Amino acid sequence: MAKTRRHHNLPEVLRPNLLEDIFPHDLPPRIRFEGPVVEYIDGQPVQFDFASVKDRDIVITDTTFRDGQQSLPPYSIDQMVKIYDLLSRLGGPNGVIRQTEFFLYTKNDRLTLDRCRELGHKYPECTGWIRAVKGDFRLVKEAGLKETGLLTSCSDYHIFHKLKFRSHKECMDSYCEVVQASFDAGIRPRCHLEDVTRSDIDRFVLPFADRLMEMSESVPEELSVKIRLCDTMGFGVSYPGAELPRSIPKLIYKLNHDCGVPSSRLEWHGHNDFHKVHINGATAWLYGCDALNSTLFGFGERTGNPPLEGAIFEYIALKGDQCGIDTLAITELADYMRSIGLPIPDNYPFAGHSFNVTRAGIHAGGLRQDERIYNIFNTEKLLGRPPRVAITDKSGADGVVHWINEFFGLKGDDRINKIKVHRLARWVIDQYDVDGRLTPISDQELAAKAKEFFPDYWAKYKAST
Amino acid sequence: MATVEERVKMVTARVLDLTPDEIQPEHSFTEDLGAESVQSIELVAMFEEEFGIEMNEDAALSVSTVGGAIDFITTVCKEQGVDVE
Repeated sequence: MAKTRRHHNLPEVLRPNLLEDIFPHDLPPRIRFEGPVVEYIDGQPVQFDFASVKDRDIVITDTTFRDGQQSLPPYSIDQMVKIYDLLSRLGGPNGVIRQTEFFLYTKNDRLTLDRCRELGHKYPECTGWIRAVKGDFRLVKEAGLKETGLLTSCSDYHIFHKLKFRSHKECMDSYCEVVQASFDAGIRPRCHLEDVTRSDIDRFVLPFADRLMEMSESVPEELSVKIRLCDTMGFGVSYPGAELPRSIPKLIYKLNHDCGVPSSRLEWHGHNDFHKVHINGATAWLYGCDALNSTLFGFGERTGNPPLEGAIFEYIALKGDQCGIDTLAITELADYMRSIGLPIPDNYPFAGHSFNVTRAGIHAGGLRQDERIYNIFNTEKLLGRPPRVAITDKSGADGVVHWINEFFGLKGDDRINKIKVHRLARWVIDQYDVDGRLTPISDQELAAKAKEFFPDYWAKYKAST
Repeated sequence: MATVEERVKMVTARVLDLTPDEIQPEHSFTEDLGAESVQSIELVAMFEEEFGIEMNEDAALSVSTVGGAIDFITTVCKEQGVDVE
């Protein structure tokens, strides 16, 4: 690399530059782009304009009840109705959570679908999921659904080793027969290109997509085929320059540009086997795939799917606006999931018990001076979860005073100062230094001590609760 | 009545488990007398209790030496109308 070192002057800066246009605090930090991205595809430079995502109708789709349930004990009907109701509130009136898919095989599957629809929500739209079997369209039709997912596995692992087809052509003909049956039933097919990131792109995926687009020309737009790109084993990678079939940019470009699949009919469905699930989904959005398929809290087969709540915050960050999304519903959904026995790890972003809880006294000190120093955004406003401190021997008086003020709900000049918490801070230190404790101190223990050391505050702020 | 200096030394000795004779005005609470973080808070709280005053948290915690504490407390006592020798 050529020597391009430049000298950087240090100007006199007397006021903090908090970059509030990027970090507005009352919204998640914005993601902004300053120029096109270039990817070399088939030896040619191709430009992508990520900034256009702000104006595109990107959406989130949900598979909590389908893929999400494949990793969990089944939900009851009431639980699914409750979750659907909260999903609708979360996605808001603009349908940011545009669709959710349902199994249709059992009486309970059907009852669940009916009860969800009885709620009368416009979004998420209910779609189905069936095997690529002609007879299954009867189920979709009887349920009155307009769209269904069809399993059209496309890696040779599936085509030859699982499904035992003798050739790509035999496989494609079989899939296309089912697609035609879907058209005939008046149901929009959504072809799930299973294992696409491990497939023979040039010799199966692209010819198959070509044929699906050709078939779509014979039906009205509302029946035209959608394509879901299923990164079944989490092999997809987001890096520019990566090769097919793992390259998400190249895969989407080829389908979008070379096969003519419109962005509005492309969907990404990922898995988290290599810890890439969220960023791969967001990458798909940026490179031209409008729909990101996800599940609540990432629950899904094996390592899970793109977490829906992560997609929500990514969406707001890209759009720079909440677009009608009610992020407070995320906390309600998390509480509800826990209440029905589905654990969410404590450190899980946005929803875990400790996602914005610090144990470090030095961070607690920062929080006390200005919440923005150590809180990712206004978590109280967006999630109903103010930043908190968990008390250990590392918390110091800063941690203790933060805890006590949050506990009594004190703001501004009403806040207790650090000097006044010295007895509680001493009690905390002695737990470890004198008594040899090794565990964090629970809120219940601290509450008991707060009552003992701050009886006036207790009487004023806690006695009636 | 004991002087401010004597009372400051007495409180410091009690909180840091020392004898008053070991404490000199030029001593730093943390470096020379070994005050830990929570003991700094306790010292300020005990000074408030001893003198019957309220001190500004940040200003009080920024005082680093015994002599500095004597001067600071004397000033606060005067401001708050508390008689000291």
